Amino acid sequence: MTNPDLPISDLLSSLKERAKELNCLYAVEEILNEPDISPEEACRRIVVVIPPGWQYPGICRAEIELRGVTHRAEEFEPTPFVLTSDIHTQDEAVGSVRVYYLEEMPAADSGPFLKEEMRLIKTIANRFGHYFHHHRMKRHFGKWESARQSLKVEHREDWRIVLDLLARTDHSLYLKMAHMMLNHLCWSGVRPAEDLLRQSDEFRQADEVDLFIDSNVPHQRRVHAFPEEMAARTFEIASDHLSDEEIFYRVQKWVQEDRLAFLVRAVERNQSLAEVTDAIRRYEHISTNEGDLSQPVRKVVRVSLIRRFLSDQLSYIRVAKEYFGISDFHDLQQRIIFSRDSFGRLGGKSAGLFLARQILRHERENHPEIGEVRAPKTWHITADMQLNFMHYNNLDEVIEQKYKDIGQIRFEYPHIVHTCKNSRFPPEFLKGLSLALDDLGDSPLIVRSSSVLEDRVGAAFSGKYKSLFVGNQGTKQERIEALLDAIAEVYASMFGPDPIQYRTERGLLDFSEEMGILIQQVVGTKVGKYYLPTFAGVAFSSNEFRWSPRISREDGLIRLVPGLGTRAVDRLSDDYPVMFAPGQPGLRVNVSPDEIARYSPRCMDIINLETNAFETRGAGELLAELGDELPGWAKLVSIQDEDRIRRPSPLDDEVPADKLLVTFEGMMSDQAFVAQMGTILTVLEEKMGAPVDIEFAHDGKHLHILQCRVQSNADDSSASPIPKDVPDSRLVFTANRFISNGRVPDATHIVYVDPEKYGELAERKDLLAVGRAVSKLNMLLPKRRFILMGPGRWGSRGDIKLGVSVSYSDINNTSVLIEVARRKGNYTPDLSFGTHFFQDLVEARIRYLPLYPDEEGVVFNETFLRCAPNIFADILPEDAWLADTIKVIDVTRAADGLVLRVLMNADLDEAVGMLADPATEVVESLDRYSAKIPVSGEHWRWRIRMVEYIAAEIDAEKFGVAGLYVFGSTKNCNAGPGSDIDLLVHFAGTREQEVLLTTWFDAWSKCLDEMNYVRTGYRSGGLLDVHLVTDEDIEHQTSYAVKIDAVTDAARKLRLPKK
Amino acid sequence: MSSGSFNPFEMAQAQFDNIAEQLDLEPGMRQLLRNPLREYHFLIPVRMDDGSTQVFRGFRCQHNDARGPSKGGIRFHPQETIDTVRALSMWMTWKCATVDIPLGGGKGGVICDPHHLSAREQEQICRGWVRQLARNVGPVQDVPAPDVMTNAQHMLWMLDEYEHIHGGHAPGFITGKPVGMGGSLGRTEATGYGVIFTVREALRELGIRPQDTLASVQGFGNVAQYAIRLYNQLGGKVTCVSSWDQGDQTSYAFRKQNGVDIEELVSITDRFGGIDKNKAEGLGYQVLPGDAWIEEEVDILIPAALENQITGETVLKISQRVKVIAEGANGPTTPEADQVLFERGVYLIPDVLANAGGVTCSYFEQVQSNMNYFWERDEVLGKLDVKMTAAFEAVSELAKKRGIYQRDAAFMIAVDRVARACRDRGWI
Repeated sequence: MTNPDLPISDLLSSLKERAKELNCLYAVEEILNEPDISPEEACRRIVVVIPPGWQYPGICRAEIELRGVTHRAEEFEPTPFVLTSDIHTQDEAVGSVRVYYLEEMPAADSGPFLKEEMRLIKTIANRFGHYFHHHRMKRHFGKWESARQSLKVEHREDWRIVLDLLARTDHSLYLKMAHMMLNHLCWSGVRPAEDLLRQSDEFRQADEVDLFIDSNVPHQRRVHAFPEEMAARTFEIASDHLSDEEIFYRVQKWVQEDRLAFLVRAVERNQSLAEVTDAIRRYEHISTNEGDLSQPVRKVVRVSLIRRFLSDQLSYIRVAKEYFGISDFHDLQQRIIFSRDSFGRLGGKSAGLFLARQILRHERENHPEIGEVRAPKTWHITADMQLNFMHYNNLDEVIEQKYKDIGQIRFEYPHIVHTCKNSRFPPEFLKGLSLALDDLGDSPLIVRSSSVLEDRVGAAFSGKYKSLFVGNQGTKQERIEALLDAIAEVYASMFGPDPIQYRTERGLLDFSEEMGILIQQVVGTKVGKYYLPTFAGVAFSSNEFRWSPRISREDGLIRLVPGLGTRAVDRLSDDYPVMFAPGQPGLRVNVSPDEIARYSPRCMDIINLETNAFETRGAGELLAELGDELPGWAKLVSIQDEDRIRRPSPLDDEVPADKLLVTFEGMMSDQAFVAQMGTILTVLEEKMGAPVDIEFAHDGKHLHILQCRVQSNADDSSASPIPKDVPDSRLVFTANRFISNGRVPDATHIVYVDPEKYGELAERKDLLAVGRAVSKLNMLLPKRRFILMGPGRWGSRGDIKLGVSVSYSDINNTSVLIEVARRKGNYTPDLSFGTHFFQDLVEARIRYLPLYPDEEGVVFNETFLRCAPNIFADILPEDAWLADTIKVIDVTRAADGLVLRVLMNADLDEAVGMLADPATEVVESLDRYSAKIPVSGEHWRWRIRMVEYIAAEIDAEKFGVAGLYVFGSTKNCNAGPGSDIDLLVHFAGTREQEVLLTTWFDAWSKCLDEMNYVRTGYRSGGLLDVHLVTDEDIEHQTSYAVKIDAVTDAARKLRLPKK
Repeated sequence: MSSGSFNPFEMAQAQFDNIAEQLDLEPGMRQLLRNPLREYHFLIPVRMDDGSTQVFRGFRCQHNDARGPSKGGIRFHPQETIDTVRALSMWMTWKCATVDIPLGGGKGGVICDPHHLSAREQEQICRGWVRQLARNVGPVQDVPAPDVMTNAQHMLWMLDEYEHIHGGHAPGFITGKPVGMGGSLGRTEATGYGVIFTVREALRELGIRPQDTLASVQGFGNVAQYAIRLYNQLGGKVTCVSSWDQGDQTSYAFRKQNGVDIEELVSITDRFGGIDKNKAEGLGYQVLPGDAWIEEEVDILIPAALENQITGETVLKISQRVKVIAEGANGPTTPEADQVLFERGVYLIPDVLANAGGVTCSYFEQVQSNMNYFWERDEVLGKLDVKMTAAFEAVSELAKKRGIYQRDAAFMIAVDRVARACRDRGWI
């Protein structure tokens, strides 16, 4: 650009010139972009900003002549030192821009002017021309509109003037209007019009017959121009049959639509995203409101745009088309990053969020409780940009990754992540991101995947791909790099073993998956070095976890956590979100101060701006540190004061961390918030026609919605179909009240505490003994393959007559916890709904089911439960005296190889426990995409092979091993990918040998764990769970020794090497 | 309900009959003390949040008030039975008499499950309860307190209703109030300190200097923490504490041979008394299975967590060195274990005495409320020491004199004191 021979001072001054020119151009652009600025006003202001862009601003003056009127900033005498550029709109010259020097200056490229200045003035003139064109068109339509209005009252025949004008200026459009009018008249059954049409086409009558004969040759195509004279005739007929207003209205509408036809063309045909966005932008400039389009055209454009950008799911389009205007897409497309040839799909997450926002915005009028709901500023990257990225880096091979063996995928995944992170992004990508970052500023961001499959399969698929937080601090270069890094990692996660395995299992592997990306500002506030929302959470419009019979599904469920919402979304099992039902805000899960403290959130996730990293901190500690600098702090916390929990007072200063509890008491007793959440859920469910779940965050002032999708539960908590043709002999129980969703396909054992016998126990210590026996069974029976049934309230503490006294650790291996409410006299006792450990059950996904056997229409197969062989005494011989009270049924043995299948369906409020063939694992899940392939046997087979190998390797003499057994899931052939291997060692050695043996097993354990990780992606730190038993244990049948030669679920002996 | 089933009231009566036999009580006295003096059964209609009305059943038993106003908690329990309430009210009579505080025994409740009630509905139940009994309870008649599923908040609602009905302030109507609203200072420490006051007396009795002793404690809640603090002040060393680990759903014992540092442990403990086992290991504690606390080579065992911990089985694991067991928890020892301990001559301080610091402090709260003058913390704890020491001496003396087990001695003293009051009043 610059001549290298120039001295440095010249170079500098030349650079300064360029900067001045650019500034000038920006200033002009700014003026012309102002909405509603008149051309005169624009001229007046532009002539002021032009001179500073020229080499000698002091003596430089500008003027614009527009349609004969000259605009100047101040009066001056024109001089011969002038630079001129004409202003054109389309092909018509409407004026010119002129720049003068008041004095003669040294000669440059053209007179005193530089060639850059010549280019500049030309650009300004062009830009002004465009503006003026738009302005004129807009005014034109405005006039038509007002003409239409005034016509109604006064100039009844004005449509004639309009047509006359049209006939002279745009004849083809005039003829088109006539043709359309003729069609319209014919459809309306106007006889003379039909005659006219017939005249216009001599073949018409013949054609008409043809049309109704099922001919197998195509109709002859008729090309006929619309004759001039017929146009006039058409309008004559129209004036006879239609009112003046209607004619005017029709003509105006058609003209308008004709002007907007480009938009329909752009969206209907598969034009590139760039063309579509151009069309939308053009439409925005021309059109004043969407009402200019007729209803069908409007729908066509809306539906096309929805299909184009958001989703082609019919159910989605059905709802969305009611809520999206064309201008909404104009807003949306300003924050999309795409390439010229992009098609434009944004993926499921974007679609859901966009729709929810629109619904809430529109419905606020009818439901003021919704209040102000915001959505964080979001940029979208279209799904096909991922492919672009892959092509650009020659990574096409990676796309085939999904067809490889899962072990190999796992092995190569870290490499793929590495490669992606070290790849380059196409320039348009970088340009887009740079714009995005300017717009998003330096608040922390979250990069979320929004895949096309997610849109198709629904929520069940979400969470398989990564979402990453970026601190977004530092120089712009650093921020871009961090963002690119995150995007690359999210892209790479599509090739991770977990999602691929999931897709394999569901038969979705061949679906061409693409991943859109959302870059969202993280909702929150900067407090000290941290950035965090005050609280966040997930909300479900249908409550699947009812802790009281007074709560119905429609009451909804909200899980709240302080800080980022990550901890509310996942079930962590060692931390608890605060739950409440917006329909019943008074009914809390936890009531006593003890419970409230025990189940209050312990940790919170935040972003540390100093380290640019995502962190987890103790909730009490951090909230004490932040204090009320965090907006809304007082609504989040309560103070534990001796044995009372109270809301903080403004005078409490420096509350110590261990007194601070996260209870959301302030939030929950805030009527407005409860009503807001409740209404949002009800409205979204009603409008979307299905239960929904949303993710949200609150910065202490405003609610922000982050995600919305149709509520679909994880596999194990979706509604199970309830078979109706089960023979009575196979039914164990049915239930029809307070049912949640879930299924346990293959329970092998039932532990049944007989309510009547339990009630007869006379001594407190006997009642306690039942609890202890259940605890032992919990350890001995196959994990998550047995169910617990017992009277009244599991976990009763004080009055343990009401239910077996157990704590959560005594039942944590059951798959279902069933409470049986037998009628006593004329009343049926209340059940606990698992309240004693409700949150533990929820987080551990243990099902809860209440049974009311004495109610009508309910099956309770007492004969089976009482008469099936009871193996309790064989399993726990030391507690044999309780065998009357506690029944343990080995279902497979008692029912000829059948298993117990428990199916629960909250939609029907029905549940059934039935004996079923283990082979007929239900496939007819409600989710049509999840035709689940039965769990293959590879996991237990591999484990058995490994333990047999270990057994063969063991030096029994050296280690003092008398026998080796395997039990649990490996032996039972139901080990999953993450199951451990339970080994039982009959040990008869010395203390030293024990140490040696333990070390030996430890090494194997770690080694197997590593192998298993490569196979499955599960890592536990050690795969072997080794239990040592001695001769004494075996003799007394204590500890795990009961497993040896046990009656049920006995450990299997492994062959040791011969001595 | 079949007659053969577990009935807490029948059990309490059987226990009383046994003691009455040993005290050779007259038949009229036995008849009087076997049953509650007064019982109230009533209904509480409540307008629910949804506009419907639900009727709850309420109870109050005043077992005996010969020694002073009845005292006892109010339970909210979904399957409350009158027999449970009767049994518990009788227990309260004996408990108050053991520590020789001038109060009788009472208990009450409402059949309801607060898990299925909103706060407003619970408030209505509390107020309804007081409305039904306003003439039969009060600072000089019957003093309620928090119990199962009720807490300070419920007490304040009840107090407020009571004061409205009677048109004046009467903070002595109810205990368990927060400090500043008629509650007493020192309540947090009371039970733990009380345990050690009795341990100190037991050691004195046995002629052992506290600074020469080691102790092992089960549990690390409020009671255990304050007991350890005071015991340390006396010069004793705790070598082992156990605590429940919520994450692992099991308990662990934490051992340090040269004595645990209470403040250090508290600093790594969550608010539920769960010690962070990784940090403890880092601080040099040996982390063992939860039941290891009982096998320690120590002089004193303090079970301060759960009931039924010292059983016929575990009692055999107790070291020969153990001389004193102080029951900080309720009912930690089973009858089979009692037998073994008695035969071995281990000095047992029964729960009714060892953990009576709580009820004594409740009594102090009532006294202060009646005076409308509130003591400083040290004054409360000083008076607690005096009360507990005196109670201990009486039990210990009787046990020695009669050669009986301390648990039986405590029970006999209690029944005897109540019987004497009835006799003195001329009731029998």
